[in-house]
Amino acid sequence: MTGQPPPVSYQGHYAGSVSRFTAFAIDLTVSSAVFALALAAISYGVHVVTGNNVSWNRSNIVVAVIFVLWEFVYFGYSWAVSGRTFGMAALGIRVVAADGSVLEPRRGVVRALVFPLSFLLFGLGFLGILVQREHRALHDLIAGSAVIYSWDARAARLRFLARQAELAPPP
Amino acid sequence: MNPRDRLRPAGRRNPVEAIAQQVTERVVDLLVSALDVNELAARIDLNELIGRVDINMILKKVDLNVLLDQVDLNALLARVDLKPLLDRVDVNDLLSQVDVDALVERTDLGAVIARSSGGMAADALDAVRSQTVGLDQFIDRWVQRLLRRKHPAPSAPSALLPAQAEP
Repeated sequence: MTGQPPPVSYQGHYAGSVSRFTAFAIDLTVSSAVFALALAAISYGVHVVTGNNVSWNRSNIVVAVIFVLWEFVYFGYSWAVSGRTFGMAALGIRVVAADGSVLEPRRGVVRALVFPLSFLLFGLGFLGILVQREHRALHDLIAGSAVIYSWDARAARLRFLARQAELAPPP
Repeated sequence: MNPRDRLRPAGRRNPVEAIAQQVTERVVDLLVSALDVNELAARIDLNELIGRVDINMILKKVDLNVLLDQVDLNALLARVDLKPLLDRVDVNDLLSQVDVDALVERTDLGAVIARSSGGMAADALDAVRSQTVGLDQFIDRWVQRLLRRKHPAPSAPSALLPAQAEP
């Protein structure tokens, strides 16, 4: 923990690019790790049952298609059910409707489906996070969503102060 | 005490005085029955009368402790309807005046919060989040400068604007 207290709350404000990119990087790592673990588990299962060794090649079209489908499920399900993925929860951000209301499950699924569009043209769709007034990427504009800070920094500040008070020597 | 009582002993001693007393009582009865007390009370200037009373002097003579001993506060409070009273209290305004930071630092509440929170993991997460929020704000400020926007962008979606915490 640093010696400086956390900043005051931005809860409800549009989330910025660093938080969103970090959350996405965490999600990509976690979802890839889970996928790799699943493949390893299947290989082990096949080996135990049939005695044959199965190796998975990432360049195999079937594996690639399953991986893409898995990513759709990972992101789409998370956004549809709770408005946030594991990475977003870690960074304290969440997806809401453009007006700030709770995201409808349908919009969560649409957001996952159009998400790859933001990668097209060298990722120009993501430029909206930086330059658009509401920090909305291309997939946000299509799905009618926005990303906000849901992290309660005020509570974090209280935790920080409480910890400092407990560590401080008695008067 | 009836003012006529003082006259009666004298009346018993002298028959003339007794007759005079009876006549007087009769006259007084007739006078009182003919008198309109309400009319009389209306003519009295109570303000002037009260103005001549030294209330401080009266209050000095009152023993408040004895008076309070006779008051049943529980019965009094039982008759008070607290709900409309509490409805008039703005609790949010009241709480906004509380310095929670100082409260946490000076009381055992801090220890309770510290023990109930997630420990090192929560601290690390708070630190990462605050760092990324700081970087978000830094980058956003530079982008706004480069784009030379005259009007500031909305900070939050419309539905969250009234409920959001102040920056």
